Amino acid sequence: MIVPLEHVLIFAAAMFFIGLAAVVARRNLIMILLGVEVMLNAAGVAFVGGALRWWALEGQAVVLFIMGVAAAEIAVGLTLVVYAWRRTGNLSPDAFDRLKG
Amino acid sequence: MTVPVCLTLFLPLLGSALLAVFGRLLPRRLSGALACLSIAGSLAGAVWAWAALAASGEPKAVLHLADWFSAGGLTVSASVLLNPLSVMMAVMVSFVSLIIHIHSVWFMREDNGFVRYFCYLNLFVFFMQSIVLAEDLVFLFLGWEGVGFCSFSLIGFWFTDPDKVLAGRKAFLVTRIGDVAFLAAIALLFRETGGLGLEHVAAVAPHLAPSLVTLLGLLFLWAAAGKSAQLPLLVWLPDAMAGPSPVSALIHAATMVTAGVYLLIRVFPLLSLSPVAMGAVAAVGAFTAFMAACSALAQHDIKRVLAWSTISQVGYMVLGIGAGDPGGSFFHLLVHAFFKSLLFMVAGIVIQALHEEHDIFRMGARVRRVVPGAALAFFCGAAALAGLPPFAGFFSKGRVLESALALAETQHGFWMLIWAVGTATALLTAIYSFRVFLLAFTGKPELVPQTGTEKTPGPMLHVLWPLALLAVAAGLLNLPEHAAHIMGAPAGWLDGLLHAVPGMGHAPAHEANVERTAEFIDAGLAVLGLLLALALYGPWRAHRHPAEHRGLPAVLEDGFWLDRLYMTAVARPYRAAADVVWRRADDGTMDAAALGLGRTALRAGGRMRRWTSGRLSNYLLWLLVGVVTIIVFLAAVGAR
Repeated sequence: MIVPLEHVLIFAAAMFFIGLAAVVARRNLIMILLGVEVMLNAAGVAFVGGALRWWALEGQAVVLFIMGVAAAEIAVGLTLVVYAWRRTGNLSPDAFDRLKG
Repeated sequence: MTVPVCLTLFLPLLGSALLAVFGRLLPRRLSGALACLSIAGSLAGAVWAWAALAASGEPKAVLHLADWFSAGGLTVSASVLLNPLSVMMAVMVSFVSLIIHIHSVWFMREDNGFVRYFCYLNLFVFFMQSIVLAEDLVFLFLGWEGVGFCSFSLIGFWFTDPDKVLAGRKAFLVTRIGDVAFLAAIALLFRETGGLGLEHVAAVAPHLAPSLVTLLGLLFLWAAAGKSAQLPLLVWLPDAMAGPSPVSALIHAATMVTAGVYLLIRVFPLLSLSPVAMGAVAAVGAFTAFMAACSALAQHDIKRVLAWSTISQVGYMVLGIGAGDPGGSFFHLLVHAFFKSLLFMVAGIVIQALHEEHDIFRMGARVRRVVPGAALAFFCGAAALAGLPPFAGFFSKGRVLESALALAETQHGFWMLIWAVGTATALLTAIYSFRVFLLAFTGKPELVPQTGTEKTPGPMLHVLWPLALLAVAAGLLNLPEHAAHIMGAPAGWLDGLLHAVPGMGHAPAHEANVERTAEFIDAGLAVLGLLLALALYGPWRAHRHPAEHRGLPAVLEDGFWLDRLYMTAVARPYRAAADVVWRRADDGTMDAAALGLGRTALRAGGRMRRWTSGRLSNYLLWLLVGVVTIIVFLAAVGAR
């Protein structure tokens, strides 16, 4: 393996926090979903790095699962977003506070 | 012998169960007939048992019907002690019950609770027969509590009237105070002797320590005082008149009230071993008789006169036991059952005919027009109650006083006092008996009646004539020697029968002149009472109605304020204490703690509400903070 594992992990961590920052900071539901995708893929990168380092194919298999889950998640998520847009015409997460205690 | 005993005991129970389950489906007439039939069967069973006992030639028979339960060395069985005493009592109970049941069919003809009434009445007879026949004290106690329950239900029979419900509750609570002593006596007997059969108790009694015997005797006396309305527990009986009149006749005059006396007769072999207990029994009986007779003098309500007279007469029975003559006491019990149930039922007819008019000062001669024949029946009962010779009460009461006088002859002092009190009571009895008769059935009352009148069905009165006959002639059951000689009838028939029962059946031993003296005094007092009552309340006198009693009559009418005393000294402090427990201990501590806990949880929840903003961005931010914290923590710990 040419690239050392540390670099891969640092890259994955950076990606994860970029995604997390997007999730926390953005005020648009679509961008939050995007951030979640980035975070998922960061985890995928870390798995691939691990798989290469130890020559274990399970890591790559998990990546396939993550992709599947991500696809399903984005499908449901976007459906909800479209529904929310139709109902309220607003995509700010703070507009939905009906669960306020 | 088992079959007739089972018939006697369980037919009323069967009748009661049938009425309870199917009573509503049956036509009224059929349910009434069913109730009467079960009692008639009970009477037949009792007579059969008597015949079987007489045929067997044995003085007694102990029958084991079934095992009830056994625990910790105590085996309680439903066993029956048949002897002349118990079979005669069973016959009397079922006979009087039968007449009262038949009478009730007419008396309750318009009542909505017809079936309920007969259900309780049948159940009562079952429990009463258990008391009468039981050999095992626990079995006896079952009947004892059962009659208490039936009495409670029937006093408060018209439960829409709060006063009547209260009267029922009072009767229940006061008799319960007596029952505590019964339970204590049972427990003590078991601990000391290891068995609870009456036969066993009679057998071991002579070997017990004298102090223990005295204690047991006093406990039984206290129990009897509760059930039989003796001092100091007599306050419930006058109020118990809230029930229907036939109930007063059956339960609160003829049978249940005498259960205490019967219990004392049953445990007489034990009781008679303790002079202290016997003295206490006699004193309680004598003073109750006197006090109740005084109270009966001042009553206005016809049923209350009879209630106080019942207390007074039961006092005589207790006095007879204390004087060592349970046979005489039982004789008076039988005779009293006949004439007092007669009096109560006639009073019930009159009250019904006058539309619930209880006040004797508003009755007068018009009653004789409305209910022809009632005056004669009532006179038979009243004369028996007064002890006018030759009515039955003269012989039975005379026998009790004779026993007391016989003791007074040999042991002066205390027994002289007892005899004097009993004899003074005899005069009072005659006065109040004829007072109530004269006021209720003769003369023209000054006060206008407040209510109208109606014709009552004839059979209601006709069914009472056997009792009236017995009230006149039951003295023949147990004539003293010389009276028998004059009348040409056999003497002491009852004594002869009871001879086989331990402690009973012996006429008091004394010289003939004591007997004569006692009888002359009693007869003289009864006649004197009649004359006094005629002078005071005769039909020719205008009865001034004392609207409000004051002074001594008020005290008498209130039963020497015993009721008020218990109200202020016992009931009110108890209620106040209950109030404190309720408000302070229960509401103030337990409930407050539970409520406080709930309030704290609510307040904490209120604080927590602020955290749930409902905003996704907030939650995500906190998620981030949480994740970072965990990672930092893991990094810090996991490095090692």
